[in-house]
Amino acid sequence: MSFLAPIICDNGTGFSKVGYAGNSDPSFVFPTAIATRGSASQSARSGPAVPNKPGNLASKRGVEDLDFFIGDEALANAKTPGYGVNYPIRHGQIENWDYMERFWEQTIFKYLRAEPEDHHFLLTEPPLNPPENREQTAEIFFESFNIKGLYIAVQAVLALAASWSSNKVTDRTLTGTVIDSGDGVTHVIPCAEGYVIGSAIKHIPIAGRDITQFVLNLLRERGEMVNVPPEEHLKVAGKVKENYSYVCQDIVKEFRKYDVEPYKHFERYEGEYSVTGRKYSVDVGYERFLAPEIFFNPEIYSSDFLTPLPEVVDTVIQQSPIDVRRGLYKNIVLSGGSTMFQYFGQRLKRDLKQIVDRRLENNAAIKGTQMKSSGVDVDVISHKRQRYAVWFGGSLMASLPEFYTFCHTKAQYDEVGPSICRRYQIFGSAT
Amino acid sequence: MILLESNNYIIQTTLAEKCIKPSSLDVQFVDFDGVRFHLSTPERKTSLLLSMSIRCWDELVKYGVDQVLQREYGHRVKAQPESEYNVSLELDLEQFPPEGEERDSLIKSISLLKRNALAAPFELAFSTQKQLSASGTGQGELLALHYRDEEAIYVQASSDRVTVIFSTIFREETDRIFGKVFLQEFVDARRLPTIQSAPQVLYSTRDAPLELSHLPGLKQTEDVGYVTFVLFPRHFANPEVAGSTISHIQNFRDYLHYHIKCSKAYMHSRMRHRVTEFQKVLNRAKTEVAVTDRKTARYVPLPPIPQHV
Amino acid sequence: MTDPLARSRNSREVLLNPLTISRNENERVLIEPSVNSIRLSIKIKQADEIERILCHKFTRFMMQRAESFIVLRRKPVKGYDISFLITNNHTDTMLKHKIVDFIIQFMEEVDKEISEMKLSLNARARVVAESYLLAFNS
Repeated sequence: MSFLAPIICDNGTGFSKVGYAGNSDPSFVFPTAIATRGSASQSARSGPAVPNKPGNLASKRGVEDLDFFIGDEALANAKTPGYGVNYPIRHGQIENWDYMERFWEQTIFKYLRAEPEDHHFLLTEPPLNPPENREQTAEIFFESFNIKGLYIAVQAVLALAASWSSNKVTDRTLTGTVIDSGDGVTHVIPCAEGYVIGSAIKHIPIAGRDITQFVLNLLRERGEMVNVPPEEHLKVAGKVKENYSYVCQDIVKEFRKYDVEPYKHFERYEGEYSVTGRKYSVDVGYERFLAPEIFFNPEIYSSDFLTPLPEVVDTVIQQSPIDVRRGLYKNIVLSGGSTMFQYFGQRLKRDLKQIVDRRLENNAAIKGTQMKSSGVDVDVISHKRQRYAVWFGGSLMASLPEFYTFCHTKAQYDEVGPSICRRYQIFGSAT
Repeated sequence: MILLESNNYIIQTTLAEKCIKPSSLDVQFVDFDGVRFHLSTPERKTSLLLSMSIRCWDELVKYGVDQVLQREYGHRVKAQPESEYNVSLELDLEQFPPEGEERDSLIKSISLLKRNALAAPFELAFSTQKQLSASGTGQGELLALHYRDEEAIYVQASSDRVTVIFSTIFREETDRIFGKVFLQEFVDARRLPTIQSAPQVLYSTRDAPLELSHLPGLKQTEDVGYVTFVLFPRHFANPEVAGSTISHIQNFRDYLHYHIKCSKAYMHSRMRHRVTEFQKVLNRAKTEVAVTDRKTARYVPLPPIPQHV
Repeated sequence: MTDPLARSRNSREVLLNPLTISRNENERVLIEPSVNSIRLSIKIKQADEIERILCHKFTRFMMQRAESFIVLRRKPVKGYDISFLITNNHTDTMLKHKIVDFIIQFMEEVDKEISEMKLSLNARARVVAESYLLAFNS
């Protein structure tokens, strides 16, 4: 029998993206949340509630650990008496292995309906994941689930692979700078030939959640939210952000455009209160271009983080080894929902190019030579699969015929043990 | 979650979503036992094609799967299935009932495609049993269903019962031992008064039960086992009961393996807990010096997400 | 972790007389002292196939984390399920009597843990079987 499609699991801090290789979108995207019996507070530190004390084993039902929900169902049951919601992943890393193991268990059996023994798995990890975490992951997948083979890929590398689908990309390289912006944090990660340059990674504490909050602040300031029931405020702000926002090329001009022709640029968001069914509407104005502007002018939102994104990207590349810098400027790849704003790529490219050119001019001026630099190519790749780029990159990689030879197999695991998963080879790159 | 569902969740959610917002689609996915699905919109957004490939299709055809699917899906079954698949359903979203119970139940029934296909041998055996019971004696043909690479289901009707035999194989020592514990409980459970009306369960390792002993080429190793369910007429007295019996018994193998895996996950939780406890005891032996010594070892702590870059 | 005993198996002068304490054939402890370390190996009670696999799983799980257990060896001595190696280095930096406490507590609890695991496996199996068969009633 030919192999069944490998399963791709991209478990992030906020959302998990899971599905089968070969598809362009994950089959499921749901919160990485698990609702278990017992309150959420006692969970993290005091160990699992699972191990029973001796004596009441026989009297109890014995399968309490199967009584839980994951994903959207977990959140839906958050208010059910007796259940508490837990988030097993914090800052990209798995913190509670008991919950994570059960989260995977239900992902596989309830949602994907796959017999894990029949499948290879591609999992993702954040950059600089300690090898111990890989070993624990391997222990779970090989011992509990008996999977056929396992490959753990770094998320940023998959995001690079995802950009191969763009028609702008011709050379399938794994060198580039990944800007990954989800709900909680934005990372800028340089990769050279499939390896993350750990020392140069930077994080920006501005991401989707902040943009939503900023939109909400603006709408409130303009008095638009008075008609909206308070518990729907965040939802409305989120919708406005997703549906109407774009990146402008010049704030001042943009403001002027709106003031001259407000009817042309203002939009109206219509909503309905889910409890009473009352209709309301909100005028959407400057928020449209101000929302994503916080990446480029963070001072309009935050007082403690002030470096614009293009500058951060430039610093990251400048801190990387000199021989890969050209490759890093030339291939800046976007990944994650918060990079989906229209014209985001163009603006980033323009601002970064200005920084780079200014530095070249300065250098030339200081040296006073006639030898002029040939310039540095700056390019930002946007593509259709940006939202779930990491998952999609995994789907691409796992569809390559050589994927299977790069997996660690069950037989290898049984022979060597979990330490086998400390090492992973990259593949698929044409260069 | 204790019991597994019979319907495919991806089909169900995707169809429900596309009814509201049709868009072009091309996805491939699987279900238990190596069943492959392909859901696509080859022509237009509102016309979906759902194709299924199932390992034991040729056997199912002999047992009348075509009639079963015709009955369940009628004109939606395509005369010529998509290539590389065994059966295709043509789903015209424009002809779906409006939002509500009717549409939900149609979607649900489509998501039961695998279940309905696999129902064929059971339905055949149930009707054979009825014929035999009229004459009082005799045995129906042994219906074999090689639904996985190394495992099969055998269904046989006789005048007063239908016997269903699962051949099982465990690829791992732990699974084999855990499986044995589980299967023994299946055999013993019927002693409970509440469960006495359930089918009788028998379990043997290595040697095949009498019904199969004439079959050539059966493996005789420790990792092979046979689970026999004896279904009595009360388990398929009317179409509704028969339907739920079929859904339920089909899932047996996946149910068993699901729970073996859950048990292993549970054991992991226990061990994590116990090992942490032992760790605490040992930590009491550490003096200040030793503790700081440890930190220099090889944990490279992840950089915390900084507020300032 | 380097094991001085392993390295000096052939140089008899550093090895002292080993000691075996056994309750019966299946439960015993081997203590091998040397001039600068002690190796202690335990054979854990395993009454049947189930206890054997659970014991194997448990000790492997623990040895997988040997690094944080300092005195635990990654592999047991042949014929035993789990081995500890306490070197003079450990006794210099750690409290000797507390290390002893740890080993004793481990020995006391590991049997209990394995039989509890077995009980819970049986309990689960029963619930799983009953739940499945009960569903035929509906």
